[in-house]
Amino acid sequence: MGLFALEHKKLWRKTSVRVSVGLCFIYVVIFGGALNYQWFGLGSEGDATSAFGNRFDGRTEIRASQAQAARYGGLLTDEAFQQMVSDLQQYDAAGVESLLGRSERTLLNGWLGQLYPELEERDRGLYSILMAYYVDTSRLTDFYARRDAALEDFLHSQGQWTGAEGELLRGMDARVEEPFRYRWTSGWQLLLGNMLPDVGVVMALFLAIILSPAFAGEWHNNTAPLLLTTDGGWQRLALAKVLSGLAFAAELFGLLAVGGVAAQLVWLGTDGWDMPIQTIKLLAVAPMNMLQAEVYEYAFALLGAVGYAGVVLLLSALVKSNVLALLTSLAAVYGPAVAAQYLPVGVQKALELLPLVGSGADIFRTNTFHIFGKYIWSPWLLITVPVLIGLLCTPFAIMRWSRRQRA
Amino acid sequence: MELSFDRLTKHYGSRIAVDRVSASLTPGVYGLLGANGAGKTTLMRMLCAILEPTSGEVFWDRQEVTAMGAAYRNVLGYLPQDFGYYPGYTAAEFLAYIAMLKGIPRETAQRCIRELLETMGLLGAARKKLRTFSGGMKQRVGIAQALLNDPRVLILDEPTAGLDPKERVHLRNLLADYAGDRIVLLSTHIVSDVEAIADQVLVMKNGRFILRGTVPELVRRAEGRVWELTVPAEQARAWEKRATVANLRHEGDRAVLRVIADERPSDDAVPCRATMEDLYLYHFGQEA
Repeated sequence: MGLFALEHKKLWRKTSVRVSVGLCFIYVVIFGGALNYQWFGLGSEGDATSAFGNRFDGRTEIRASQAQAARYGGLLTDEAFQQMVSDLQQYDAAGVESLLGRSERTLLNGWLGQLYPELEERDRGLYSILMAYYVDTSRLTDFYARRDAALEDFLHSQGQWTGAEGELLRGMDARVEEPFRYRWTSGWQLLLGNMLPDVGVVMALFLAIILSPAFAGEWHNNTAPLLLTTDGGWQRLALAKVLSGLAFAAELFGLLAVGGVAAQLVWLGTDGWDMPIQTIKLLAVAPMNMLQAEVYEYAFALLGAVGYAGVVLLLSALVKSNVLALLTSLAAVYGPAVAAQYLPVGVQKALELLPLVGSGADIFRTNTFHIFGKYIWSPWLLITVPVLIGLLCTPFAIMRWSRRQRA
Repeated sequence: MELSFDRLTKHYGSRIAVDRVSASLTPGVYGLLGANGAGKTTLMRMLCAILEPTSGEVFWDRQEVTAMGAAYRNVLGYLPQDFGYYPGYTAAEFLAYIAMLKGIPRETAQRCIRELLETMGLLGAARKKLRTFSGGMKQRVGIAQALLNDPRVLILDEPTAGLDPKERVHLRNLLADYAGDRIVLLSTHIVSDVEAIADQVLVMKNGRFILRGTVPELVRRAEGRVWELTVPAEQARAWEKRATVANLRHEGDRAVLRVIADERPSDDAVPCRATMEDLYLYHFGQEA
């Protein structure tokens, strides 16, 4: 325990680690979180002087948008949907830009396109106009029946409607509560669809930078000869390094998660936590609400980070060069993503099980794995297999480093 | 108490770094002398059981050290050449870290660390990060870590590198005091350090011991091969090219040379008393 504490302290004492953690925090929490909410993500539209086209008024705008969405009674019924589209058309006709911006037109238009494609008018001139601006709202009926039909078409097109796989996916969808609870969704869309899936990608970069010298750095520092003459220290040290590397991954995650949740509470608050995720991805089948989805995505990032830390530690133990350890660590996470497009689908899916290669956003999808004759919804494997891979790497890291030390 | 090695050999591909060297070391200070590439560091690493010999064995009290494992490491203190450290640690933290690796109980370690820092003149800098230390201070930390477990065998690879003259004298005295009933083996390029404290000197060249003995015994081998002569200053450079010149000083327009040679280099050369440095130059003068 004492050695772990010292090794852990040594890791945090490095200037490169502190700078990396600082940059990671700034990127994820300040830039990707606070400024995203306040300015370029959810600030009101129409500032021609801003590179992002948004004003620096996100918090006010979010509150106003939430209040506007709350007027529809909290449940997404046909009547509520019709009213939302009708209001949008009125704001458009009146030219009230501020209200238009808060009207979730992208979301509404997406629903219209998916569920009421026959209402689209394709001869409206050179410029396409959002359906939401012109559809006859009285024809917006049978929202959930149309969603069921759209989902059936989608699953058919994916070859997922029949058999055990179809049974699994339809069974999940049957547990989605209808009518959907509805509040303002854009904040959750930004959080769950963009911000949280990026956390793992960014963490991978910084974990590779920070942990790749864990073992390889001992050669770089020329400390290996010294460590070898200690009483079995090379084994205990390897264990301490592994534990501190895994702990560091968890701590980095904790730092980002606490910062991210704090920013979320300040800007978004908790409004809409119990909405089903179908409000932001209509054809998702997972019976999850926003809070559950958020917990899943954070868990995905945490377990992926711990798993990836294990992989990086193994790679660090396999080579004597810091640079090579860094490059192989980066290749282990970004390589599969780059190579995936050239590989068969089965291999692509298998690669997604590597730590931080897959995406936490799979909860919005209908991907499955077929293992030993059983279909498993992909998010369950994407959250468990990477951490197992990482943990399995750690004994090999210890053994490999110990052997290499004696070569 | 005996550290012995028998026909110890290390090959790196076709290159022979250490070639069938044998010796038996009992308590005392041993100086290992040799030019760069002579095989000193390789030999020391094999003695520390961190480098596997191509052939030959190392014994501690007649037990093979690799088989002893941790039991041997418990009696061993080692300062590697180019001693590596962690720049973000303070001196006290670094020593605590090594003490932990050596399995020294926390209370004992804290007492030892304080004593060693005091002995090494580093108590005032105990809380400063190693990255702020001078080369000499780092080297003293390295020596302190080697002494942490109160080792029976202390192997120091160039311990005086980077130390100023005062620090070197201090370290020499420390090692002389420390040796007592322990085995201390140190390698260095600084012949005067060996001359000052070594009970026995081992001279390595091309992976083999070419000389061994006490300082007076070895110095005697150089007697009759050290000469002093005075030449015109403009001839000094020519002499340096054709003979091993141990020292050169100018006196007006004349140069006084100390020359190492088997035979009187010129009629006006006079014999002088030999030193260890002369002996070293006699064997390594051409390499230097």
